[in-house]
Amino acid sequence: MTARWHRPLSLVAALGWVCALAACLAAWPISWPMSWPAPCPVLRLAANRLVVGAAIAGPEGLGDWLGAILGTGALGAGLLAVKDGRPAALIGLLLLSSAAFLLALGLGAGAARAMAGQPPAARVGLGAGSWGAVALLAGAIGLAVQRSRVPGLGILVPILLVGGLGVAGHRGAFDALSLAVEYAARRSDVNAALLQHLVLAAGALLLAGLVTLLLSLWRRGQGLVEALMAGIQVVPAVALLGALVALVSGLLRAVPALRDLGLSALGAGPALIGIAAYLLLPLWRGLATALRAPDPAVIDAATGLGLTARQILLRLRLPLGAPILIGALRVAAVQSLGLATLGALIGAGGLGRIVFDGMAQFAPDLILLGALPIVALSLATERALGLAEDAARRRWRP
Amino acid sequence: MRSGTRRHPGGGRPLALGLTGLALAILSLPQVASAVAAGLGETPRRALDLPRLAALAGQHGFLAGIGFGLVALIGLAGGILATRAFAAPLRGAIDGLAAGAQAVPPVVIVALALPVLGFGFPPTLLAMVAYGIMPVLRGTVGGLGGVSRDASDAARAMGMNPVQILLRVELPLAAPVIVDSLRTALVLAVATAALGALAGASTLGTPIVAGLQNQNTVPMLQGAAATASLAFLGDAALLVLAGRLRRSSVCP
Repeated sequence: MTARWHRPLSLVAALGWVCALAACLAAWPISWPMSWPAPCPVLRLAANRLVVGAAIAGPEGLGDWLGAILGTGALGAGLLAVKDGRPAALIGLLLLSSAAFLLALGLGAGAARAMAGQPPAARVGLGAGSWGAVALLAGAIGLAVQRSRVPGLGILVPILLVGGLGVAGHRGAFDALSLAVEYAARRSDVNAALLQHLVLAAGALLLAGLVTLLLSLWRRGQGLVEALMAGIQVVPAVALLGALVALVSGLLRAVPALRDLGLSALGAGPALIGIAAYLLLPLWRGLATALRAPDPAVIDAATGLGLTARQILLRLRLPLGAPILIGALRVAAVQSLGLATLGALIGAGGLGRIVFDGMAQFAPDLILLGALPIVALSLATERALGLAEDAARRRWRP
Repeated sequence: MRSGTRRHPGGGRPLALGLTGLALAILSLPQVASAVAAGLGETPRRALDLPRLAALAGQHGFLAGIGFGLVALIGLAGGILATRAFAAPLRGAIDGLAAGAQAVPPVVIVALALPVLGFGFPPTLLAMVAYGIMPVLRGTVGGLGGVSRDASDAARAMGMNPVQILLRVELPLAAPVIVDSLRTALVLAVATAALGALAGASTLGTPIVAGLQNQNTVPMLQGAAATASLAFLGDAALLVLAGRLRRSSVCP
């Protein structure tokens, strides 16, 4: 019954998608009064990195690439709309990925053309139309991946796309885009911030994991511990970090010897504690639920068979609870990566520093340079641990 | 279902939450915060006076209130629509979107929106809505999806129309899960309003950020305590309200 209205509906959706892509890239309808700025510029040419530039519409910015991008995109979306099944999804995926790749190359080439003859301070940045097109293509690629039902493709396709763009970027395809110019100017800064961010997020996760394990050994205090952890979740992160700085500086004044151990009121120490505090509850609940995952009857049977408590833990509770544990880890890891951004507020560095520098200078490219890796890291972590969770779940399903 | 939401506020203890909120509010008062800072060995510096603190708290509450209202409205309406029979194919997409939206932390949304929307309230409000809708949507979908088929079938057999089934059977049965997700959204709204200080909105985050920059502990402590107090008091108020609503819907 669903099939009868499903087909026309997906055709309409595909048509709408193609129209939206065309509107983003070609500033369609083109017949708008010429005095109006293009509603969706794909590129913007600015005198320097701080001002908003003049709009460059799709036909001018993308040139000959425009037809190829729209054509492959429309073909891919159309194929997904009219045909079900794995082969159609895979071919559609290939077409849509090519469209995305062509879009990136076209924008790079368009930026190089626009920069020709401009002073060195000029910048060509991505306009709203480009971001809209990227979002549309990403959504369609996600749908195609879902349709293909090939496990692992959800992580393989982004890796291939990012890898391909990386190779193209390495050979200079995007050198004229302002984001690449900004990155080239701050390469070591951004790379160091990325490393700090990862260390901060992973360190907080590790710290929270250790504290959770230790606290779970304290059998009598479970209610109190959970209430405290839930209370921490209510405290806004900025407030907790501020209060921690005040507390740590007071502590250092009272016990100056701690300073020799490398602790300071501002920096990675309080940031690690603050971030870890928010990860306790998801990890704690995950651990508790995971250990309760096996049926009590199964535990009874295992005891009856003569398994020791240790064997029950290692052979029953942990394997059966693994998907829940990995799920908790996924939630905590994504939170940790996001919260690590705030670490920059108290001098812990990380990608947040790049973002806040960009906000202070009102330089959009610098903000993006910090924000894009944060989002990419979070999405990649979410995806990878999500796949691990599914794999663990499948393994124990009879 | 619960493990998917970002934050898990604790069990229903409105009194404890309210008292914590009050204690934090007292801590944020100029004299008390100065005394505490002095106790930490801080050299006394100018504290935020009461009228300024109250004005910031008012703006903070206003901004968080608007954001929470929008989030609750859009999230609930979207969740109700998504659980109707015609939207069944959309449910997978909602889960995917929820995971994607949670991967962009509010501070990053504020930062990205800054060049487009300018300083102050608009980027903060956008971050609240973008980050807060998904927990509510997910909670509503999960709560309504968890209502047993038998209950709605029985209601239909009694001659209720779909609207009556929704209002009298499905929503009351799903209420605990929905209220949990609303609490998450409220706490997020208060936290995001504090982040708005980074984009130039004047909220209780302002003294925290300024205090961190120029090493002035007293206003920082005041801002932190007042922000946390607002979050606790809001959470408690929402719990009390939900309790009232439940009691009145059970015995009309």
